[in-house]
Amino acid sequence: MSAVPAPFAVFMRGPAPLLIAALAAVAWIAVVGDSYALRLATLAATQALLVLGYQLVFGHAGALSLAQGALFGLGAYVAALLSLHAPWGVSLTLPAAALSAMLVAALVGAIVLRLETHYFALATLAVAQLIHLAAVNWEMLTGGANGLPGVPALSLAGMTITRGGPMLLLAWSLFAIAAWIVARVMAGLTGLALDLAREHPPAAQSVGIDVAGLRFTAFVAGAGLAGLAGGLHAHVVGVVSPDVTDMPVMVGCLIATVIGGRRAVIGAALGAILLTHAPEWFRFLENRHLIAFGALALAMVIVAPDGLADLLATVRRRLWPLPERTSGAVLAPPAGVARRSVALRVEHVGKAFGGVRALDDVTMVLAPGEAVGVIGPNGSGKTTLLNVITGILPAEQGEVRLGTESLRRRPAFTIARLGVARTFQHAELSAATSVLDAVATAAFARSPRPPRDVAGAEARHWLLRVGVADSAALRCGALPAGRRRLVEVARAFMARPRILVLDEPGAGLSRAERIELARRLRILRGSGTTVLVVDHDIDFLAACVDRLICLERGRIIADGPIETVRRDPHVRQAYFGRDDAAAEP
Amino acid sequence: MLTVQLLVNALALGAAYALVALGFVLVLNAAGAVNFAHGDMVMLGGVAGVTLAAMLAGAGLRLPGIVLLPLVVLISGLVGLGVAALGFWPLRDRPPAAMFVATIALAAVFEQSATAFFGPEPRTAPAVWDGAPIAIGGITLGRQPLALIVVAGVAIAGVYALLEKTQIGRRFRAVAQDRDMARALGVRAVHLVVGAFVLAGGLAGLAGALLGHQFFVNAGQGPAYMLKAYIAAAVGGWGSVPGALLGALLIALFETLVSAALSAVWAQALLYFALLAILLWRPQGLFGEAIGRRA
Repeated sequence: MSAVPAPFAVFMRGPAPLLIAALAAVAWIAVVGDSYALRLATLAATQALLVLGYQLVFGHAGALSLAQGALFGLGAYVAALLSLHAPWGVSLTLPAAALSAMLVAALVGAIVLRLETHYFALATLAVAQLIHLAAVNWEMLTGGANGLPGVPALSLAGMTITRGGPMLLLAWSLFAIAAWIVARVMAGLTGLALDLAREHPPAAQSVGIDVAGLRFTAFVAGAGLAGLAGGLHAHVVGVVSPDVTDMPVMVGCLIATVIGGRRAVIGAALGAILLTHAPEWFRFLENRHLIAFGALALAMVIVAPDGLADLLATVRRRLWPLPERTSGAVLAPPAGVARRSVALRVEHVGKAFGGVRALDDVTMVLAPGEAVGVIGPNGSGKTTLLNVITGILPAEQGEVRLGTESLRRRPAFTIARLGVARTFQHAELSAATSVLDAVATAAFARSPRPPRDVAGAEARHWLLRVGVADSAALRCGALPAGRRRLVEVARAFMARPRILVLDEPGAGLSRAERIELARRLRILRGSGTTVLVVDHDIDFLAACVDRLICLERGRIIADGPIETVRRDPHVRQAYFGRDDAAAEP
Repeated sequence: MLTVQLLVNALALGAAYALVALGFVLVLNAAGAVNFAHGDMVMLGGVAGVTLAAMLAGAGLRLPGIVLLPLVVLISGLVGLGVAALGFWPLRDRPPAAMFVATIALAAVFEQSATAFFGPEPRTAPAVWDGAPIAIGGITLGRQPLALIVVAGVAIAGVYALLEKTQIGRRFRAVAQDRDMARALGVRAVHLVVGAFVLAGGLAGLAGALLGHQFFVNAGQGPAYMLKAYIAAAVGGWGSVPGALLGALLIALFETLVSAALSAVWAQALLYFALLAILLWRPQGLFGEAIGRRA
């Protein structure tokens, strides 16, 4: 590899090879392309738009929607109907197609997006079937099984875009613009926020990310691209029949997404080109080319679940490795942003799971800037208490207040935005995300939202303060459990909390590491953050908190200075299983 | 009198749907994921029935349909094994969405294969019980619906006995409840999951061969059957076997009655609306409690 001259490697690493490939394709079509080849290449662009939209829904938001194909069909019908019946409509068909699909998606999404994977897939499948039924049977409007023939060519601002070269250019330009926008958005903090929201929704909410809102936005935006693609399709083909709303469109879109890649925009183009051209290339298989295509998709799911785009990227990285990124910029948060510390009040909170009272009339107050530790045997309600405070679980009785503000019935992400940050007992980090990015993600909910590199520099600051800066470039999945918890602590600080809630931050660390963490936490909370720590290790807690609370079977059995609680006979009975104070070493 | 005929037809359809739903929900419980190719296993059962009958007729053997059923079940069980080998086995440690997507691709392969080798035009599977309708009192009943009810009933009872009365059934239920825990206790979970696929394939194929006489067999019918089973599982309470069976019967009843009163199209449309309404207001299904977060 050393024989390769450096400038060549730089060239191959950049975007140039892609541009050259695209230009070569255009030139090839311009020179040898007959009208059929032109049409096929144009249809590939419409499919690419459809797949790009599905990447938002399925790849980024993780919603297994089966309505994307029907929304494509909806766009096609809207474009056809407008251009056939509204003479002014020919230049507005594409926006109308996109908007109508978005409208339907917004309606459907508002209702079914909260359903879990398999229910969501089924609900979207039902919606798709309803759209298809309407296309086949609402003959007055859709022309029934015959469809709508004679859809005119598209016209923009009075200029007709004829089928063939001009349409090809328009379709691929639209894809290029949409792909550029998507790639830009995903390269920022939004992409990171989507990764966390998809893989660890509670963690995303804990740093103020509105998971439901993000999913909804992605679903509607994806539908907009599907509608746009459908509108283009109607103008390219000139006929719209119920086939455009049928299952094979959805299956094709899904398969193209899997083959191309779920998230990289280049994958949308690759998958779509393969989907539309495979029948040509596999022509020697006669009517069996679709079998080959399905088998290829299956093989990709099994062997290369991240698709062709990822394979290409890997090959490129291997052949022409990227130079080590030297930017190690560290940025301390500006001094003015530290938020006023605040008191946390838990008032008569109760919570039951079935017949088990996990929390029973729990009342506690954390003064502004105070650090309190919570101990208690397994199953005593410690984590439930944290989940109620952070809004992951609703309290059945009582309420939690932050300063004067009641947190009752507030979604977890709004509680986080009020300044409550937390870590989790089983660290909730996206395995494929780098440690630095995982911490930077917490800046997503800030307003104004900082650029990703600024967030990254601040993230490095917190990693340094917590003591895991040496892992910044590693993937979270590669870290041992103890260090993952530390990354979560850094992420919680990145959210600039007024109240910091830590669930067993010391578990999985060696004794020396725990002492070190306690020391760092003491320094970090010097800025006035109120801290609530759950842990089993009283020595660890003694080194970083002012006061201890002991829970047993959902009730507070002791609350006071560390030494008092440590010597409390009830605590000893509940926690150590012995009550003879003399036994203490 | 007409209502009795209608109800018998609905029951026959429901019995076939119940076979489909039973296999669907067994795989759902065992693998923790939806098998999107399940409907195509039904279709392949129908194809096997038609092809076997044609081959035997070609050899000069005209056997009654009932004799073919064991062969169809055997072939379909092998199809189920194939689905397990390609759609489940390589993906067993990945999130459920991976199997969902893989089986969608597999369904496409099945459908296209059937179109390519069997032909796109609908064909009729052999009757299980041939002959003129039976008249009891003033009621005339087709023989095929009656035979369908009996055969499906026996198959379902057999599976039920397997699940409830045998050691394998107990192990299977343990795996369905908590795969990791069952594994920790020494149950060879993956074998049981593959077994569930084989059983589901057999049941689906049986349903396909039974339905193929009245409703024809065609390559593109898979997704519709899959959807019926999927809806039955959702309506009956995700993962509940009796719930899915009851859900299948309800769907058949709904389809038959609404088709008779309005039209087949309205029956379909209203079924989807009803499903959406149920998912919205009673996501735990019509019967019983939610199984929890399975998906």
